Amino acid sequence: MSIAIPSRGRRSRRRRTGPAVRIGTWLVWLFVAVDIGLLVWTFTSSLRGNNDIMNHPFGVPNSPKFGNYGKAVSDGGFGRAALNSVFTAVASSALVIALAAPCAYVLARRRTRTSSFLSMMFVLGLGVPLQVLVIPLFIGLSKVNLTDSLYGLILVYIGLAMPFTVYLLTGFFAGVPAVLEEAAVLDGAGPVRTFLSVIVPVARGGIITAFLLQIISAWNETLFALVLLHSQDKITLPVALVNFLSTEQYDGQDWGVLFAGVCIILAPMLALFSWLGSRIIQGMTVGIGK
Amino acid sequence: MTAQITQSPRIGKVRGDSPRRSRRSEAPLERLHRRTFWPFAAPALLFYIVLFIAPIAFAAYTSFYKWDGLSPMKDRGLNNYRILWLDPVFHTALTNTLKILIVGGVVTFAIALALTMVLREMNHRLFARSVLFFPTLVNAMVFGIAAGFLFSPSGPVDEVLHALGWQTPPQWLSTENIFPMVMGTLIWTSTGFYTAIIMAGVDQIPQYLYEAAELDGCNAWQRFRNVTLPMAWEVISVCAVLWTVSSVNIFQLILVFGGSNSNLPPANSWNTALYVYGEAFPQASAPELGLATAAAMVALLLVAVITVLLRRLMRRERIEY
Amino acid sequence: MGRSSKTATRFLGIATVAALALGVTSCSSSAPAAGAKSGGSFTYWSMWSKDEPQAKVLQAAITAFTAKTGITVNVTWAGRNVSKEIGPAVAANKAPDLWDQNAGTVLGTLGSEGQALDLSPVLAMTIPGENVTVGSVIPAKYLTSQPKDSDGTSNYVIPYEVTAEGIFYNAADPNMQAAMSSPPTTWAGFIGVCAALKAKGEPCIASEGEDSWTNGLYFDYDLLANGVNWSALAADKTGASWDAPGVATAVNEMEQLVSGGYIVPTYTDTKYPAQETNWANDKAGFYMDGSYVTAEVSKEIPATWKMAMMLPPGVTQADVGTFGFSIPKKAKNVSAAEQFIAFFMQKSQLSGISTIADNITPRADIPAPTELASVQQALNAPTLRVDFSNTIPSDYYNKVYNQNFLDFWHGKTTAAQFIAAMKSAQVTYWQTQG
Repeated sequence: MSIAIPSRGRRSRRRRTGPAVRIGTWLVWLFVAVDIGLLVWTFTSSLRGNNDIMNHPFGVPNSPKFGNYGKAVSDGGFGRAALNSVFTAVASSALVIALAAPCAYVLARRRTRTSSFLSMMFVLGLGVPLQVLVIPLFIGLSKVNLTDSLYGLILVYIGLAMPFTVYLLTGFFAGVPAVLEEAAVLDGAGPVRTFLSVIVPVARGGIITAFLLQIISAWNETLFALVLLHSQDKITLPVALVNFLSTEQYDGQDWGVLFAGVCIILAPMLALFSWLGSRIIQGMTVGIGK
Repeated sequence: MTAQITQSPRIGKVRGDSPRRSRRSEAPLERLHRRTFWPFAAPALLFYIVLFIAPIAFAAYTSFYKWDGLSPMKDRGLNNYRILWLDPVFHTALTNTLKILIVGGVVTFAIALALTMVLREMNHRLFARSVLFFPTLVNAMVFGIAAGFLFSPSGPVDEVLHALGWQTPPQWLSTENIFPMVMGTLIWTSTGFYTAIIMAGVDQIPQYLYEAAELDGCNAWQRFRNVTLPMAWEVISVCAVLWTVSSVNIFQLILVFGGSNSNLPPANSWNTALYVYGEAFPQASAPELGLATAAAMVALLLVAVITVLLRRLMRRERIEY
Repeated sequence: MGRSSKTATRFLGIATVAALALGVTSCSSSAPAAGAKSGGSFTYWSMWSKDEPQAKVLQAAITAFTAKTGITVNVTWAGRNVSKEIGPAVAANKAPDLWDQNAGTVLGTLGSEGQALDLSPVLAMTIPGENVTVGSVIPAKYLTSQPKDSDGTSNYVIPYEVTAEGIFYNAADPNMQAAMSSPPTTWAGFIGVCAALKAKGEPCIASEGEDSWTNGLYFDYDLLANGVNWSALAADKTGASWDAPGVATAVNEMEQLVSGGYIVPTYTDTKYPAQETNWANDKAGFYMDGSYVTAEVSKEIPATWKMAMMLPPGVTQADVGTFGFSIPKKAKNVSAAEQFIAFFMQKSQLSGISTIADNITPRADIPAPTELASVQQALNAPTLRVDFSNTIPSDYYNKVYNQNFLDFWHGKTTAAQFIAAMKSAQVTYWQTQG
């Protein structure tokens, strides 16, 4: 009975499954088309003029206004904000991985009541409504002079990301076979070396996944950035977008430039995802399944 | 999961007996884990406690006071919680939170599982999966901006529906429909996320199990129930916990769909996160931070209870294969 | 999907390196250099974004101020979010020395907690280059219209821009000219104008269906015309004030608008600013808003547009909104900030608000922009009031008013049901307030 059949190649035998799957396939492609269509619409809207968009929401730019992007970068501050966002996202993600990985490793390996309790503590942190942390964190950061500073924001993001990252990485590390570690230890390797040269390479996929997920989360985080940053050369992209949107009140604004700003926010995500998307998804599941 | 090696006869013999037998006869690996536990865990714990736990503790402390953030705190004891108990808006917010959690969760997972099965049969599955996953990465504000244009009566959605013969489509952007729209958007973005994960998990199920089931005479649904579902159960249960903790805290989505210029969305569309936000950042009054943190504590309790229940319900023996 | 990987990789790589480099240099210090010149310095957080016209006017004033006095101004063009940032900043002792916002917002974020400085001393300061005091060029009625803060003073905001709320329309619209020769003086007259417009195929009122504030102004004014003060109405813990006949009249009159089909048909189905755009394109007659609406639609209206404003029938006092400077109590450089306020009140500086930013200033000797002439007329009344959003607590607004009013305005509840709903919600609200 145990004939090992390679799974992918024999897929054609299943084609005779019925109309439900066919309808499902059509629906999937419909959704895919809608998703892609939305991206295309956002991009084309960014090339149109304000009155054009307001009067015909769904149209083609007759004379593409690439100047919208220039205006978004300079007037809207999206250029500077993009750099700030990249810095904040990459730095906070790298640091949270550096901190969470060792912790997740020992939590996964050592199963005592203490470690279960600590694991539970991290998991429960996921459910906290973040708005209540804003004022205490602001006051705390101000005592060390880190408000209106990207470094302060990075610290906040590290704290916010800790529960999920530890949770995710614990799953990954639990799946690393113990024999590898044993071999390293018997060879006389110290803990740090064991960790770095044996565990990390094996769980590399999971670590990269956690890193990417945190970048995405930091890229889109709005509330803390809004409250903690206000120097216009320090704001991140979501704050720039909120600022831009709010000028509609009292002064009106240019929706073409707004869409250009939205494209600036989406483009790196799109690039990141098309390059690494499959890796993110694959990695997440491998870790979760353990 | 590794097995605990507490006593290895080989090592015991090598080291010889001694009063501290239990320590000495640990495997080196076990010793390594014990010694490195606190040094490795401490930095993360430190950051977590300082940046997360301490603010939460402070917030819990604040929930027993009346505080606007600027003036000294005024003691209120359990009064804030009494207000929440009496406030019909908070009840609505709690109901909405549960609706999003349960209805949204069931629908999302049903669609995700269905999509997983469909995607497995398709060509270009990975491309489709990636595109469906993408909305998760998009900032909530973008949905609000886009919705205002796309769902307006003169916008493309209604135009397409008119062309298909549906002359009176629903009023997508009406304030009565904020909650369904928010749910719909949430389900749409989450489905892509969970489909991708579950699909990658289902992909790991060995093919021969399906072959065996088919040979036993199972149809598609039975194969799903007896092979796919049990094998992917671990992935699904972790996703359920993730859904619980993340869906309770959505608030930006409601804000962009329902909020206007300077107002918050109308109270019928609030969830607990928005209630907290409305109390902590009011438009033109002093903040009620005590009430806000009390509401947050209630929400946290809700999440904790549901998470524990969920883990109990979904716990099963791990299937080795 | 992998085809774009190479350029994407390169982009990411360069961007990361650049960002790290820039990031490190830019966030080295957030503390401003304290007074490089002998004059000292102060920090100013502005509600305007860098490219808005008000910001340009203020920036010009700042440059001139620094040149004249040697005081450095560390300005941040924070945008409307400054109102979210000011509270935590004051709580953490990092307050700016000067900020500006709508008076109601200043009251809510700092004034009602006793954290806004009383600026009466500024009123006594002489305006540089002119021989008059600040208090003599700002009519007292603007200051008294600002609700009192917890210290009992109204002078926590020195206004530099005033707006009025009313019904705006295009006086050059032929349909409007035919339907209305002069602003109606009774509600029946107003409905008559609406009917005439409707007969010509032009909806009478443009209304953003989701916005309970602009549409609530109809209610606010209608109550006023019927002798009812909304803040007194809302403050009644028994809810009995809702049984007053004036309330019923006002609500019934509003119901005529809803049930008579005088509102743009799609008003419940769009998001801001779709209906404002419709109105700007002559697709509806009237639009109730603050006078900054002219600045909001200036790029959309056709060249033939002639902006006019009228108050609803029976109303003698316009709702005014003031935008101005405020100083937190915990500010460190109070006198430098106060000097700047006095400086900005110069006619030469302040007139930019009218000429460049298209808004009305409190100074009577600065003419209003031409399109706001009718607004200036309304503001010439001896006393002014503020609209309901300034006098009822935000909690009340969100929990009692917002949902119930929108239900009524969308035609889902009748006048009687609206009154009953407000009454019971109000009673419950006051019961929960400790």
